[in-house]
Amino acid sequence: MDDELILDLRGVSGRYRGAAADALDNVSLALRPGDFHAVLGPNGSGKTTLVRVALGVLPPRRGTAELLGRAVARWSRRELARVVGVVPQREENLFPQRVRETVMLGRYPHLSLWGAMGGDDRAAVARALERCDVAQLADRSIWTLSGGEYQRVRLARALAQEPRLLVLDEPTTSLDVRHEMELFELVRTLADEHRLAILLVTHHLNLAARFADRLLLLSGGRAVADGAPSDVLTRETVETVFGWPVAVERFQDRPQVIPLRARKGAS
Amino acid sequence: MRILLVLLAACGTGDHGGRAAATTPAHRIVSLSPAVTELLFALGAGDRVVGRTTWCDYPPAAQRVPTVGDGLAPDLEAVVAARPDLVVLYPSALNEAAAAKLRSLGIAAILLPQDRLEDLARAAQVLGRVTGREPAGDSLAAAIARVVATPAPGPGIRAALIAWDNPPMVIGGGSYLDQLATLAGARNVFHDLGSADVVSLETIAVRDPDVIVVLADSGATGPPAFARRASWQVIRAVRERHFVTLRGSLFGRPSPRAPEAIAAFRRLLEAAR
Amino acid sequence: MKWLVLGLVAVASLALAVVLGPTHVPWSALASSDIIRSLRLPRAVLAFLVGGALGLSGASLQALVRNPLADPLLLGLSGGAGLGAVLAIAFHLGGVWALPLAAFAGALMAMALVYRLGLAGDVEPDPRVLILAGVAVGAFSGALTTAIVSVASAAELRNAFLWLWGGLSGASWDAVLVVAVYLPLPALALLAAARPLDLLALGEEPARYLGADVAPLKRRVFVAASLLTAVAVAVSGVIGFVGLIVPHAMRRVFGHQHRALLPAAFLGGGILLVLADTVARVAIAPRELPVGIVTALIGVPLFALLVRRWTTS
Repeated sequence: MDDELILDLRGVSGRYRGAAADALDNVSLALRPGDFHAVLGPNGSGKTTLVRVALGVLPPRRGTAELLGRAVARWSRRELARVVGVVPQREENLFPQRVRETVMLGRYPHLSLWGAMGGDDRAAVARALERCDVAQLADRSIWTLSGGEYQRVRLARALAQEPRLLVLDEPTTSLDVRHEMELFELVRTLADEHRLAILLVTHHLNLAARFADRLLLLSGGRAVADGAPSDVLTRETVETVFGWPVAVERFQDRPQVIPLRARKGAS
Repeated sequence: MRILLVLLAACGTGDHGGRAAATTPAHRIVSLSPAVTELLFALGAGDRVVGRTTWCDYPPAAQRVPTVGDGLAPDLEAVVAARPDLVVLYPSALNEAAAAKLRSLGIAAILLPQDRLEDLARAAQVLGRVTGREPAGDSLAAAIARVVATPAPGPGIRAALIAWDNPPMVIGGGSYLDQLATLAGARNVFHDLGSADVVSLETIAVRDPDVIVVLADSGATGPPAFARRASWQVIRAVRERHFVTLRGSLFGRPSPRAPEAIAAFRRLLEAAR
Repeated sequence: MKWLVLGLVAVASLALAVVLGPTHVPWSALASSDIIRSLRLPRAVLAFLVGGALGLSGASLQALVRNPLADPLLLGLSGGAGLGAVLAIAFHLGGVWALPLAAFAGALMAMALVYRLGLAGDVEPDPRVLILAGVAVGAFSGALTTAIVSVASAAELRNAFLWLWGGLSGASWDAVLVVAVYLPLPALALLAAARPLDLLALGEEPARYLGADVAPLKRRVFVAASLLTAVAVAVSGVIGFVGLIVPHAMRRVFGHQHRALLPAAFLGGGILLVLADTVARVAIAPRELPVGIVTALIGVPLFALLVRRWTTS
C-alpha cells in the first residue's frame, strides 16, 4: 500500500488566462503515503501554480495530473476535498467563529446535502483538534487566537477532512521560531505516524531541508533540481536560482543555507 | 408710483408685496397660477396677461396666451423674456425665492394664497387694485364671499375624498376640495385630517362614507381602478359602487367658477346616493 | 428551545398585528369582522412573508459578498423596480397587477445588469464588484426615475414615489397567494446552499478546497436572493434595514452556521416587518406612517447597538 501513488504529476505545464507565457513548464512530481515533499523557489517561480494544477484549479496545458490514479480534472470538488486537505496561503474569515466550528467545516465534504453531522464526524473533529494540539482552544473565538494558534487551527480543519494528501501553501509566513518549528514537527509527525502524503510550499529553505524527504526547486516555472535536500541545496544551485551569494553548511546531516552579506564594492 | 402704492396696500392684507418700481397699473402680467389666470380674465383684464403656465387652461381665451413653463419651479428666463411688469405666484418656498429674484431684476412680484375660496376673494380684490379695476375686483370678491356664506341644504351626504389608492390617501380639511364638498352639501368624513394624509383601508371602512369622491382627467370614464381591488371591497361605498368622479380642472383648483363647481358637485352627489 | 421561542414570538407578532389597528374591533367580533379577515389578516401574513424574504435574502447576500453591511437593497433592485413602476404609470398600463408586475420586471432587469457588470470580464462574478455594480445600477435607475417624474409632471407619476415607499397597504389574499406560491423555490435554493455558504465565508479559494463549487454557488445565491428581493419590492415597495439587521441579530442567537441562520433570518425578518407594520398602522392613527420609515427608525438604533456589541465582544 505504501507504493500507492497519491499524487502523480507528469510534465505538467500551466498558463493563466491572458498570460503571455507558461507559469509552469514541464514539472513532474510523485507523492506516496508518508512522503514529505517541499516545493521551493523564488517569488514567481511557479510554486502556487503547481499547487493549483495539482488541485484541479488550473487545468494543465500539457502533461498529466492524476490523483489516486484518476485525472484531477475528473474529480468533483467534493470528491477531491475528501481526499486532499489544503491549508492555503490566505484566508479571510468573515465572522468571529469558535475554533470548533471552523474545524467542523472540514467535515463538510463528507456530509450529504440535508444530512446532519454524526458521531463519526464529531470524532474526526476531535481527533484533528488533538493532533494539532488545539483541543484546549476549541471554544475560543478565532479572533482571539495568536498567529501560530490560528495556523494550527487551520491545519486541524484540513485534517478533519481525513485526507490522504495534505497541501500547505507557505504555512509559516509571519510565525515566530517556536511556532514555525512546532508546525513543521507536526507535519513531519503526520507523515511518519499517520502516513499522510505532504506537499508543502515554503520560502524557508532550511526548515524544508531539515524536515522534508524531497525538495523540488523551481525557477521561472521550471524544475531546476529535484531530489534529496543535500542534492538540491548546493551552493551553486542556490546562488544561481536565488541570485544571492550563500554558504551551505551541514547540520544534523542536512544542508543549511546561510546567505552571505553583500560585499561593498562587489564585483 | 401707483403700483408701488397698490402693492404696499396689498402688503397690508398679508400678501407678499415688493419694492420694485413701476409707474402705472400693471399692464403686462405673468400669471404663474391657474386660479390667478382665471381671476384676471374674470376681471376683464385678460388682455393684459402676457404669460401663463401650461396648467392655465380656462377660459379658452387664456389658451392663446404664450406659456412660460408649468410654473411648479418657475422658469425665470421665460418669465423675464415676456417683459412683464408684474408676476403673480402661489406662495411656496420655491416661489418666494423666485419672487425675490424677480424683484432684484426690477420686476414686481406678489404671492397670493389661493387654497380656499376666502383666499380667492381676497386675491380678486388685490388683482382688482393692481390692474386698476377695483370695482370689478370688489364685486367678484363679494360674489365669492356670498358663495362661501351660503349654507348647504340637507343633512349632508358623508363622503370620503380619495386622492390616491396605493397607499390610500384622503383629502382632509383645509383643502379646496374639502371646502367645495362642504358647500355642495357633503360631509367629509376625514375633515379632521390635514389636506392629504395616508390612512389604512380599515379606517375608511369604519368611517363608512356614503360616497367616494375622486378627481380624474377629463378623458377618464367609469369607476376608478381601485374599485376592483379585493381589499377595497371592505368599504361599503366601494362594494355598492357609490362613486362621484369629478372630471376636469373645474374641481381640482380654486376658481371663480366655484358656484358652477358646487352645483355640479351637488348634482353628482345626489346621483350617487 | 431557541426555536420554540422564535416560533412563539412569530405567532405572537401575527396575533398582535391582527388585534391592533387604527380602528377598534371588539373582541367578540374578531372572528367575523370583515376588517380582520379581508384587511388585517392578509396584511399581517403578507408582511411576514415579505419580511422573511428580505431577512433570508439579506443573510445569503452578506455571505455571498462577504460583507456584513450588505443589504438586499444594495443590489440595485429597488431602483429597477421603481423605474418599472414609474414607466407602467407613465404608459397608463391598467389592471390591478400592472404596477407590481412592472416593478418586478424592472427589478429583474436590474438584477441581470448588475450580474453582467459583476462579472467584470471574468467567467464568474466578483462579489465586491457586485456590490459596486448594485449601487451604481440603483443610483442610475433612481436618477432616471426622478427625471421621468419631473419631466412628465403628472400628479400620478409623483405619486409613484409614494407607492415606492408605500408598503403593505395594498395587501390582499391574492397577493399573499402569489407570494406564498413564489417564495418556496428561491428560498429552498438558498437553504440548500447553506453549507457551501459557510465555506464561502472563508474566502473563495479555501471554500473551493473544502469542496464548494464556487462559481455555480455564487450564481445561484445571487439569483435566488435577487428573486426574493424583487418580489418583496414589487409587492410592498422599498423597505430597508430588514435585510441588513435581521441576519446580524439572528447570528447573535443562532450562530453563524447558515443551516440555522437562514431559517432564523426568515422568521426574524417576518417578525420584524409584522411588528414594524403594526407600529406604522397604529402610531399616528388615523394616519399611517410609511413602513420603510418605521423599519429605519427601529433599525438604525438597533444596528448601532449590534455594531457596538460586535466590536467589543
